[in-house]
Amino acid sequence: MMRQVALDDTLAIAIGAGILGTGGGGSTYLNRLRLNNELRQGERSVPVIRADDVPDDALVCAVGGMGAPTVSNEKLQEGQEIKRAVRALEEHLRQKVYAIVIGEIGGGNALGPMITALQCGTPVVDGDGMGRAFPELDMDTFMIYGAAPAPFALADAHGNVVIFERIGSAKQAEAFARSLTIEMGGSAGLVMPLMTGAELKATVIRHTLSLAKRIGEAVLDCRARSIEPSATVAELCNGVVLFSGKIIDVDRRTVQGFARGKLVISAFDDFNRKLEIDFQNENLVARSAGQVICTVPDLITLVTLEDGEPIGTESLRYGLRVAVLGLPAPKELKTPEALTVVGPRAFGYDVDFRPLPGDLL
Amino acid sequence: MRLLDEENIGDIAVGAAILGSGGGSDPYIGALMAREAIRQYGPVELRALDEMDDADLVVPAAGMGAPTVIVEKLPNGDDLIRAFHTLGKYTGRNPRATMSIESGGMNSIRPIYLAARLGIPVLDCDGMGRAFPEIQMTVLTADGISASPFAMSDERGNVLLIDAVSNKWVEVFARSCVMRMGAVGAIALYAATVKQLKQAAIHGTITLAEEIGEVVRKARREEANPVDAIRRAVDGFLVFRGKITDVDRRITAGFAKGNARMAGSGEFAGKRLELEFQNEHLVLRVDDKYVATTPDLIAVLDAETGEPITTEALRYGMRVAVIAFPCAPQWRESAALALVHPRYFGYDVEYVPVEERLSA
Repeated sequence: MMRQVALDDTLAIAIGAGILGTGGGGSTYLNRLRLNNELRQGERSVPVIRADDVPDDALVCAVGGMGAPTVSNEKLQEGQEIKRAVRALEEHLRQKVYAIVIGEIGGGNALGPMITALQCGTPVVDGDGMGRAFPELDMDTFMIYGAAPAPFALADAHGNVVIFERIGSAKQAEAFARSLTIEMGGSAGLVMPLMTGAELKATVIRHTLSLAKRIGEAVLDCRARSIEPSATVAELCNGVVLFSGKIIDVDRRTVQGFARGKLVISAFDDFNRKLEIDFQNENLVARSAGQVICTVPDLITLVTLEDGEPIGTESLRYGLRVAVLGLPAPKELKTPEALTVVGPRAFGYDVDFRPLPGDLL
Repeated sequence: MRLLDEENIGDIAVGAAILGSGGGSDPYIGALMAREAIRQYGPVELRALDEMDDADLVVPAAGMGAPTVIVEKLPNGDDLIRAFHTLGKYTGRNPRATMSIESGGMNSIRPIYLAARLGIPVLDCDGMGRAFPEIQMTVLTADGISASPFAMSDERGNVLLIDAVSNKWVEVFARSCVMRMGAVGAIALYAATVKQLKQAAIHGTITLAEEIGEVVRKARREEANPVDAIRRAVDGFLVFRGKITDVDRRITAGFAKGNARMAGSGEFAGKRLELEFQNEHLVLRVDDKYVATTPDLIAVLDAETGEPITTEALRYGMRVAVIAFPCAPQWRESAALALVHPRYFGYDVEYVPVEERLSA
């Protein structure tokens, strides 16, 4: 069981989180640099606790970055925005936060909360609300299984904080927060939701931080032994390698605060055999020969063929040689109530969710 | 201190609409709400700033959004109460009074409605002495008073708080949220002590609105020309009489923006007028020559009745008189003027006080 995150652990977690990010969740590179920097100050480590160790009446909050990864790669965080949002909510509620929760384990959003935890002097919980990354903030198990969307807070690099005290639904929260994120320059720090320990235990997907670290360690081990890591990662996550090949086309736009588009990969042995993937910050649907072969909420992740480095949708480009992993979603994302929020139809695809066998963990 | 009852509200509404310079929304709905609240909860205390303790906290309240929408999507009143309470709670202090952030239409009246419902006084002052389209455009901003913390609520019960590093940032975030709310929201902002407001606010503007409204009412009763009575009451200038020949109005980024053209009649026969607005009337040209610009006030009045016509009510064929009059002197200081200068709104013209333009 994981008890802390130290400087030596961040590379493995960054790789694992990138793989769970299914192309989104923001850059692990930038947030890892920031986390390392924070850990070096005073030679600290981030205490990690289990969700079941949080007292029922304690206050916890999930945090993360909001916006288009295409923007957050260029417009660096000021560094204190999420901490400011947490402090503003604490002051508003006149209660201290007991632990920080990772909103989404995918991508840089796995690492950012540990920076916030260090800044706030709290532990981080081993778990998250997605088991992957998703583009919209109503798409997590906290919201799906009934945590209240308000209060929540957004903060930007200028020092501005916006607190929502009451909001009709998570979907409305998403709409307001997305508009504000665009005004904030395309990226913002988000604190949502605030929960009691009891609510956390009822909604969180457990042990995903540990999983990210295990995935990353497996990749690093393969690299040390000069083995292509994709099959090892697929096996570790109960998944499959869907496709291997070269990216031959990328069509990407930043629309309404999202990186949207599609990419085409052609196989090495037969360049007429192709895989097409649609994405909205995250990879959503994979098609081969006109057939849908994998959809949300299952994870579709691109990694570089040789060293298993995850590729964010903002970094896709022609000529990259990749393996496409299909990993089964955690079981919490596959209930009927979850599928109405994170199934293919929620993203506008008129196809049924046909799950890959098994569960992520 | 004096009490405002149902009778006073009508005069204040008419006068405020003239001070609103075309904006602040149609006062009719606000006046109905305030009259009903006074009927239900009793008269409202109107106090001068001198009649409060210096340390008392004042929380101004207002409506925000596009006037074209506000006349169709009526406020329910509870949104204003929620915004006011949320801000009070966030400051951790008990607000002793409320006031208008702008003089103009509904926003002169809404604080009276709030005061009636909560049983607190309303102060005889405001932050603009007219209406302007954006949050940061107050003499309070020029005096260093923060619009943050800023509370906003809508008819669905959503409530949010903005704590921003500048008043312009408050405007940016609030505008974005008000569009999500369907272009109408209720707000509480610029919480300040009486001591701060004594120095920064524009004093006596509710009484001024009431006096103007009274002049209009009396002129109508005596069948005198109300336009001339209004012009005298505000110490202004008649700059045009004529017919509206064209109105181009769009709802853009949460504002009612556009322009109106008029053809002159009577002593103005053969002249053309162009009026540009963004919620409020901003600049006007007669025969391509600037005659009045923001921050001076421009009022478009029904030529017969003197009834002020707000920007969302302008339409083809109306017979109107246009008067222009000087803004509150605070606006002519450089820090304040920069907030509302014609150039800020995109008009490439120097600000010259209206009385100088018209005497030249």
